[in-house]
Amino acid sequence: MSDRRLPRLLQSPAVILLLIWMIVPLGMTLYFSFIRYVLNNLRRPEWTTPSFSNWRGWGNYDFVLGVKGFWPAAFDLAIPLALIAVAVIAGGAALKAYLDAGPRDLVRRARAHLGLGHVIAYFMLALLPMIGFVFFFGDVSFGTGKFWLAMKNSLFIVGSILFLTVTLGILIAVLINRVFPGRGIVRVMLISPFFVMPAVNAVLWINMILDPVLGLQGLAVAGINGVIDSLQTAPVVGSFFSLWPDLEPISFRATQTSAYAVIIMVTWQWTPFAVLILMTSLQSEDQQQKEAAILDGAGAWNQFRFLTLPHLARPIAIVVMIQAIFHLSLYAEIEIVSRGNGNKNLPYLIGEFANNNIGAASATGIYAVILANIVAIFLLRMIGKTLMD
Amino acid sequence: MAIVAQTTRRSRISRATLAWIVGLLFFFPIFWMVLTSFKTDADAVKPEFLIWFTPTLENYANMTENYDYWRFATNSVITSVFATVFALAVGIPCAYAMAFRPSRATKDVLMWMLSTKMLPAAAVLYPMTFLTKGLGLYDTHFIVIMVLMLINLPIVVWMLFTYFKEIPKEIIEAGQMDGVNTFGEIREILIPLAWGGIASTALLCFIFSWNEAYWTVRLTTTEAATLSKLIEGNRAPEGLFFGRLSAVSAAAVGPIVVLGWFCQKQLVQGLTFGAVK
Repeated sequence: MSDRRLPRLLQSPAVILLLIWMIVPLGMTLYFSFIRYVLNNLRRPEWTTPSFSNWRGWGNYDFVLGVKGFWPAAFDLAIPLALIAVAVIAGGAALKAYLDAGPRDLVRRARAHLGLGHVIAYFMLALLPMIGFVFFFGDVSFGTGKFWLAMKNSLFIVGSILFLTVTLGILIAVLINRVFPGRGIVRVMLISPFFVMPAVNAVLWINMILDPVLGLQGLAVAGINGVIDSLQTAPVVGSFFSLWPDLEPISFRATQTSAYAVIIMVTWQWTPFAVLILMTSLQSEDQQQKEAAILDGAGAWNQFRFLTLPHLARPIAIVVMIQAIFHLSLYAEIEIVSRGNGNKNLPYLIGEFANNNIGAASATGIYAVILANIVAIFLLRMIGKTLMD
Repeated sequence: MAIVAQTTRRSRISRATLAWIVGLLFFFPIFWMVLTSFKTDADAVKPEFLIWFTPTLENYANMTENYDYWRFATNSVITSVFATVFALAVGIPCAYAMAFRPSRATKDVLMWMLSTKMLPAAAVLYPMTFLTKGLGLYDTHFIVIMVLMLINLPIVVWMLFTYFKEIPKEIIEAGQMDGVNTFGEIREILIPLAWGGIASTALLCFIFSWNEAYWTVRLTTTEAATLSKLIEGNRAPEGLFFGRLSAVSAAAVGPIVVLGWFCQKQLVQGLTFGAVK
């Protein structure tokens, strides 16, 4: 067999399988998103089977957004996207300015890690939608509001998880980077949550830890209240503590708090991932450069800010992008915590539409694909750069 | 100097203590779940921080009765094992061709494979149910295995590719000189040489398949339902049966957490596609 045909033959099973897996369902989603397709409709039975004669054009996309026509829809999409873009650019520039303001020799060393500015901009790219949405759109709802509420929840949950996991990940990775007794055991304990199945994670946290009565939260609140009560009846200090209120446990299944329950449990599960990646990267840090900086009289904070943080910029960006892709499709946790009450994100909304209105579910799906692709393109470019060396 | 040594020693001790506290905090929920699984249902919901109690194996014994645990566990094992085996069977030849006979398109093909991993599953939810029901594949082991395999195939190909790339080309070419054909090359030279890499890829693929919770829940009802489905099906109303629920949960995640300890390092490579070193 010729030199070229054999490798192609060997690759073809994988390529063909993935091609079918990608094109067939996605093509069907695209098709369904342009037709009227409703599973149960007695009045218009012709809509219950997919057919080109039920063509609806952009109707499903308008219906999902809650506005009519291309321009209003584009305008509605453009405002939040423009605000996000402004926030990203401003945030990236501010961070870069912050890192550039310092002793000149240290700044020069920090610059040695290429592309710091735009790597940090990537970080902000994933982080700032949350801030942008919460501040600018607080309780504003467009049209039917369903889509925007789901979009807001998606971005709020993802943004918060990213912020928490990256911050905790950096702190913990730096903490356990040095050798100490029992480091291996600590590492094993730290990484364990990552391997817990998402459904178990959610059931465990919502029932046994966050439950206001039976969970550890309830026990902790009751314990603190007990201490306060005993202080109030104490002889001398009692009059001072008599003004302290008793604490109320928080119900994490409620509309206002269910998104926080999801954020807490996913953060617990994914912080280990951030720690693992940042730790791996810390081990390849240039020790000579660090020693030179110490000889120059750089303190611990400056070492961290000008050497460690720039070194971690790239792994941080990768952690952010991979997590963004995973968490944009969170489902099991949301289902188990409150069945979408208060924390409904895009995948959950698609699931709800898919119970009856397939056209709307498909249009929402296409929006979700676009959202995920914005992150994926950056990630693929970064991975592609490391591919051939 | 003495003062400096003292302060660094003190800071070292406090750092180690802090690290231990953080580690214990992260592990605590798992520990609590395992602990609760040894309590009776009455003990498990007592409103007190119960550490000392008479342990019982009752919950584990009841697992089959109340939850039909073994059927779900068997399904999880079957689907994860077969998904891993098929992914390797398709992935090894593909990665071999990419690593040892690269062409100009290799890089693009790899990147495209990764991009399939980044498609949100929810977007194709209805077409998948439509297709599987239409083809009579809904709630069968076959479709679960296929989906799990396809989800993990990009990671498998990528990891194998990075392992194979480390093997010197000369060794493979020497095999060609001796007149071994391609499949002989893969079987007799490549697989023994890259055994460690293949094993850790398989382990990671198995873990991801076992923990998958979107498609396994949505494409099954009873016949091919895995442990994810079991746990998801038993959420809120079980509030008063923490003991049983913990036992099932612990049995569902225990083996995987232990396996996970062995492939921490591969996890970094597998999930970041080698972009972090």
